[in-house]
This record gives sequence, C-alpha cells and structure tokens, in this order.
Amino acid sequence: MIYTLLYGLSMGAILYFISVGLSLTFGTMRVINFAHTLTYTIGVYMLITFMAALQGSFLPAAVLAILAVIPVSYLMERFIIRRLYGESLDYTFIATFAITLIGVDTIKWIWGVNPYPLSDPLGSYLRVLDFTFPIYRIIIFLVAIALFVALELFFKKTIVGKIVVAALEDKDGVKCLGVKVDKYFSLMFILGSALAGLGGVLYAPISAVHPYMGLSVLLLAFAVVIVGGMGNPRGTFLSAFGLGMVMSITARYWSQGAETMVFIVMAIVLMFRPIDI
Amino acid sequence: MSRGRGPWVATLALLPPEAAIGAAFLLLIPLISLHRVTDFMIFCIFVLSFDLLYGYMGRLSFGHLLFLGTGAYSAGLFIKYASPNPLLGVLAGILGAGLLGVLLGPAAVRATGACFALMNLAFNHIGFFLVLSPLRAVTNGEDGFGIRARALWLFDPAGKTSMFLLVLGSLLLVFYLLRRLTASPFGILIRSIKEDETRVRFLGYNTHLFKWLTYVIAGTLAGLAGTLGALNYSFVNPNVMDVQGNVGVVFACLIGGAGSLYGALAGGVAYMLISNFLAIYIQRWEIFLGLSLLVIVFRFRRGLWGSVQSTLEYARRFEEVRRPVAGEGA
Repeated sequence: MIYTLLYGLSMGAILYFISVGLSLTFGTMRVINFAHTLTYTIGVYMLITFMAALQGSFLPAAVLAILAVIPVSYLMERFIIRRLYGESLDYTFIATFAITLIGVDTIKWIWGVNPYPLSDPLGSYLRVLDFTFPIYRIIIFLVAIALFVALELFFKKTIVGKIVVAALEDKDGVKCLGVKVDKYFSLMFILGSALAGLGGVLYAPISAVHPYMGLSVLLLAFAVVIVGGMGNPRGTFLSAFGLGMVMSITARYWSQGAETMVFIVMAIVLMFRPIDI
Repeated sequence: MSRGRGPWVATLALLPPEAAIGAAFLLLIPLISLHRVTDFMIFCIFVLSFDLLYGYMGRLSFGHLLFLGTGAYSAGLFIKYASPNPLLGVLAGILGAGLLGVLLGPAAVRATGACFALMNLAFNHIGFFLVLSPLRAVTNGEDGFGIRARALWLFDPAGKTSMFLLVLGSLLLVFYLLRRLTASPFGILIRSIKEDETRVRFLGYNTHLFKWLTYVIAGTLAGLAGTLGALNYSFVNPNVMDVQGNVGVVFACLIGGAGSLYGALAGGVAYMLISNFLAIYIQRWEIFLGLSLLVIVFRFRRGLWGSVQSTLEYARRFEEVRRPVAGEGA
C-alpha cells in the first residue's frame, strides 16, 4: 500500500509539471494548446542527446534540456499561438495539432522512431524499516512540492506574477492600466512549456521514450486541467495529485484500468460542473 | 440557365446530386482500386455524420469514433453470435450505435465547446478500454475477431463488387437523407442552435431535445459507417475506435469545409487520398500535412468546397454583371 502511495505521488508530480502550463495557457490566452506536450517530448529527446554528449551525467543534461525547450516554445508562441487569440476551438485545435504533427515528425527525422531506453539515473533505494523506496520517485515528488511553493510565491510576490493573476481575472482591465499583457502571456507560455519539458525530463527515466509519448500524456494532462479547473494553478496542483493517486490505486488492483479511471473521473466532473468556453 | 445549351443540360440539371456523386465515385475506380474506393466511401459516410454534428450543429466532438466502433462491434458480435445474415448485422450495428447515442446524449449535449469535445473524448477512451480489456471474453481483446457473414442471394459480403454496391447505396442514401434533413425546418433549427442557442430556446423550442436527436442521428450514421467498414474488412479490432484516430475526421471535415454535405464528401476523399498516397511520395508526410493544415487555418478557412462555392459565386456574379451590357449591345 505504501508503494502505491509513493507511485501515486510521483505520478501526480509528473502530471502537475505537465498540466500546469496547459492550465496557465488556457487561463491567460484562452487558447487550448494541443501542442503542449510536444515540448515534453522535445525535452526528453534533448535530454538523451545531452546525456550522450556529457557521458551520461544526468543533472547538467537535464538542465540543458529544459533550457533547450525555451527557444522552441518561444517560436511556437511567436508564430502560431499568438495568432490564435480569440479564435474558436476548432481552428485552435487544428493549428496546434498541426504543430504537434510537424514536431513529432521532426523528432522522427532527427532521432528516429525506435524507443530509447533510459534507466533510473540514481538507481539507489532508500531503506526505511522493511520497505525500500526508489529515491528517484521521492525526489520527483519533492521537486513538485518545491515548484508549487515557488509558483505560489511567484504569483503572490513578484510583479510579473501579480500581473498574470490579474489578467487571469480580467484581461481587459489589466490592459486598460497600460500593461502589455501579451508580453506576459508569452512569458507564461514559455514558462509552462519549460515546465512540461521538466516533467518529460523527470519522467523519461521511469517510462518509455518514443516520438508519440507526448500524445498519450496530453490526454491525461487535459483530464487534470479539467478536474482542477482551467486557469487555476492551485486547483491543478490538487487535481494532479488526486488523479495521480486515482491512477496508482486503480493500477494496484486492476493495472489496465488506470488511465481509463482518470477519464471516468473527468467525464463525471464535466457532467456535474461543465466548463464554459 | 439551360437556355441555348441543348436539352441534355436541362436533363442533367434535373438529376438529383446523388447521381453526380455516384458517378464521381464510379469514375474514381479506374484511378484507384475498387477496394480503396469502398474504403473512401465508408470514410465519407463517417465524415458526413460528423459534419452533421460539427458543421451543422456546431458541436465539435473528439470522440466520434466511439460510435463507429460501437457500430462495428455490434454488427460483428451480432454476426458472430446471433445470425450470419449481413443485412441484419448492418441493422444491429446501426441500432447499437443509435442506442449508445440515446444513452450518452443527455449527458453529452448539455455541454458546449471544449467541454463537449473532451467529454466525448472521455467516452471514447472508456469505450475503447471496455472492448480492449473488461469485455475481452466477448470481443477477444486487442486481437479482435473475424466476421464471417453469409452470402445473401446475390449479395456476397466477401465479394468486392457487391460490397462496393452496398456501400455506394448506403452513401447515396445517407447523403439524400442528410440533404433532406438539413434543408428541413429541423436542419434550420440545428443551424440556429449553432448560431445562438439561447435565442432558439427563447423562441420556445426545446433545444435539448433537438440536440439529443441530432447526436443520436450522427451516432447512428457513424455506426453505419463502422458496420460497413467491419463487413468490408470481415474483421474488427479495437483500433477502429482508437482515440487518436479522431483527428482524421476533424481534419477531413475542415479540409472539405464544415457545414456543407458536399464539403464533407470532398474532405473525406481528400483526406483519404492524402493519408493513402502522400506517404508513398513524400517521406516526411506528417510535416507536409502539418504545414498544409496551418495554411488551411490561417489562409484557407472555408475549405475545398468553400472555395469552389466562392468561385462559382464569382462566376455567377460576373455573368450577371455582363448580361445587361451584352443586351444593350444587341
């Protein structure tokens, strides 16, 4: 049971990294970004490349990989997402999905289709009483908590964060104060993408790496964002860990049902509290 | 219009559009194989059903394949366990998908926009999972099962020609029904729901009921497409309702131009051509597809049929402007 708990916490942490950017992008720009997990996949492939270049040292490679995601996401925002403000869902869907297609195919072009094996970079276990815990999963969870606290502080204490929170409430009002909202939005987009990249980098060693890995996670990220409330960072945090626990508890008793249970929760939430876009 | 062009033009103009569509698909056979054209037409039925929901009622669904899969599975299971009669199988498939629409409709149609899309996606995911794992005993999990339908008089489901004719007949029937439906007061009503549902409700219509009905019709027609697909391949497995396959139908609908039945046909054929042949000629076809989709979104919103329409409109206006001038000259 305690393993289930740990598995759920680390899964929730990964879900949190990936979905917080999606939630922020939606909350600020009202754009549903189907290309969001592309940066997750790119982050993972960058990690593989840098790890090979740095003779397998994980931490610097991870940092470089996350930094490498930033220019890609800037280009995405500058040339595609920015044009989608105020567009209806279908065109947003097509445009962002087109980005995914291009990105995934480029990944296949550069790195090939074959899955890459990556192993747990620590490989060590923490022994408490009679239980052994993989330290890596504990670290993922701690990083998520740190990130949550950092984001809370960012939104409360810094002027950029305050502008973003205000714009989440009332975009036009903030605009009227003479703030160039779009600049902050693109900053948020890049931050969100980098966090998705972080999620990828952390999750890759304990999952399979292949060009389409982003698509399967994307659906889960949507479920998290919907259950937690779109554009609500705190809700995203809670729902990510909630759904992570749902996944791990389901997987304990019925391993194939884990992902489906997330969607059942999402359908129930949508039925009783429809979102309005 | 037919003035001075001989009686045959007038006769042609009297023919229903179904004749032209049938002829167009017959003309496609020599260009690509018979089997592929059957495939194309099945996909076109599916795009038509999707277009009713999305193009006409304005509800974008990311889970429409659920109905296609339900149709395929109900038909397949009916043929496997109940009776090998293929036409009864088709009926079972349609009924299965329609029933699912009746069940899911009340929950689904209350939502709009992204909520509707994602709720259908969730349903689709659950359905896919159900046939994959918990119902493994009947559906044989991810391996799927073969469908051996018995030949019925002249109609032999294993024969390519009779399958082609059945699919062509179904496509034309679906097209005719949808053409009548979308031109009827019901069609106008669902288009009004797309524009502004609150106002339609204000006029005293029970919009929930109409949306539900449209959802059921769209599901039923998608089920028909699934049934035909299952019969055509004599095989069904969970991949027919794979969640990520939904992208194809959305693309097809938008390439052709949403909100028009001709657009749905054009989009269905265009999408199938792209997905069947582009990969042979262009190695990095996904990049190509992605770039062309970006062009569609930013420059080519109305789709194939939309641009055909605007060209026709332009030609008509041109003629209208020119005619009085020519009259004065004479």
